[in-house]
Amino acid sequence: MNKHSNDWLVGATVLGGMAMIVAATLWLQQAEFGQERATVTARFRDVGNMAVGNQVVIRGVQAGRIESIALADSGWVTAKLTLDPGIKLPPDPVVLIQAATLFGEWQAVVTRREGAPQIREVYNQLDDSLNAPRGALPGAVLPDIAQLTSVAGGIAGNVASVSERVRLAFNDSAARELRLTIRNFSTMSTELTRTVRTQSQNLDIIAAGVRAGVGDLSAGAAALQRSVGRLDSATSQGEIAQILRETQRAAENLRETSERLNAISRSLQGSEGSLSSILMRTDSIMRRVERGEGSLGMLFKDPSLYRNSDSLLLDMRSLLADLQKNPKRYINLSIF
Amino acid sequence: MIEAIGRGTREAMEAIGSAGRLTIEAGRALRDVRTWGPNFSLQARQLGVDSIPIGILIALFTGVVLALLASYSFTGAVPRYLVGTLVQKTIMMELAPVLTGLALAGRVGANIAAEIGTMRVTEQVDALETLSFDPVAYLVVPRVLAGTLMFPVVVGVAMFVGLFAGWGASLMLLDLSTPEFLKGARLFFDGFDVRYGLVKSASFGFAVTMLASTAGLKTRGGAQGVGAAATSAVVQSAVMILVLDAFWAMVWLLGRAR
Repeated sequence: MNKHSNDWLVGATVLGGMAMIVAATLWLQQAEFGQERATVTARFRDVGNMAVGNQVVIRGVQAGRIESIALADSGWVTAKLTLDPGIKLPPDPVVLIQAATLFGEWQAVVTRREGAPQIREVYNQLDDSLNAPRGALPGAVLPDIAQLTSVAGGIAGNVASVSERVRLAFNDSAARELRLTIRNFSTMSTELTRTVRTQSQNLDIIAAGVRAGVGDLSAGAAALQRSVGRLDSATSQGEIAQILRETQRAAENLRETSERLNAISRSLQGSEGSLSSILMRTDSIMRRVERGEGSLGMLFKDPSLYRNSDSLLLDMRSLLADLQKNPKRYINLSIF
Repeated sequence: MIEAIGRGTREAMEAIGSAGRLTIEAGRALRDVRTWGPNFSLQARQLGVDSIPIGILIALFTGVVLALLASYSFTGAVPRYLVGTLVQKTIMMELAPVLTGLALAGRVGANIAAEIGTMRVTEQVDALETLSFDPVAYLVVPRVLAGTLMFPVVVGVAMFVGLFAGWGASLMLLDLSTPEFLKGARLFFDGFDVRYGLVKSASFGFAVTMLASTAGLKTRGGAQGVGAAATSAVVQSAVMILVLDAFWAMVWLLGRAR
């Protein structure tokens, strides 16, 4: 092979190799030529673990890359975001930096301000960067996975502690007891099954009774329905209304009677005093009679007077008999 | 034992010294373009163009195996698209430069050491000096330049082929979709990955050709000496590739990781 062919072959190989490398690099970097790529700047207090080359995402779709990250004045960090051709930012945009995966991959999410998570710290960061002197998209960093993993680490520690306690508690004797318990439980389950089977037969009988009872109830309900129907028809003919009117009148009469009874009761209350004084006087008289005071007392206490009175009565009775027998002896009537 | 340690230290220092002296002489000889220029394209073809099939073969199988290995390793919560990430990073930054460098160390290093060693034992090198040719400019510089320039080309092709081989294996053997593989490959891709691999491979090319030329020029005796020189060149080149690989990782990657 002559010198010129060597030169051509080497040149072609070098050019081909370079072209291949450049093409692969551009392809992996998703470089596009002839199309305008918009660039926006976002301002943060902290960019977390975000790095140049991380993707920019809008509504979950990759829309560009982080072009550069630089420290700025007054404690700011500015990040330049290159957007793919044709990508338009949402209205009132903010940039949120967050972990994209559990493997340390971060991304910048461009979203509407109201689409930001309802976290006070995030809103404080956004407000802070919004009030920055120079115009740039406000940005904030969402809590990274490290904070979550630290919490998860604590939980894992607790779980480990609990599992250790379980391991200590679940020794051979516990296992035996558990086995025994399971066996007992199995026996109990068998017994329960048998009982249920037995009771199910009783339940069938009860169900039959209940069914009959329900039939009776249905019949009763039908009778009640008929009665209600009749009552309804009676109501519709005005008998009930008449009964009610008569009842009302009876109630009025009863009320009048009650009022009269009240008046009588009041007058009885007045007579009660008089009666009481009469009784008291009578009682006094009776005590005097009993003591033999006065004429009546002497009459009751002196037996001779009783005897005289008794003989007097006998005399009077004989006199009366003689008078009836011989009236002319005692009575002389003359006219003229 | 003390004597053996001293002898070993002396030989190591002599090797480093002679390689350094040859490097300085080659640097000086770079100005003598008329001497090394005509030989450059021939050496570039022999060391570079003719080595491309080996680089492609190595990258092809490496890409396939790497995709399968990644799929085997990534289980459970690890997303499958990271197969693309692993293939891209590993092929571009490590396997394509190192494996291709080791393969070329055997092929190119042995070739150069045997060629120059034969010329040394047959006194052709002495004849060049007699004819007022600088043997370093005539023999060493074109080979070192060709190796330094063409190793990155071969490694670049190997990177490309390895990446596509991994892609094809993911599609055909792993039921991974193209968007998934590309997502993984693009996820952590950085232009630095390519630069790192190419610069590393250029250093490998320089080291292999320089060590092989040194071994060739130091050849003594007959065919046995030539064989020993070729063996020494291959061994030294392989070791130097691994040393340089660690060197670049510590110098360049460690700095970026911080």
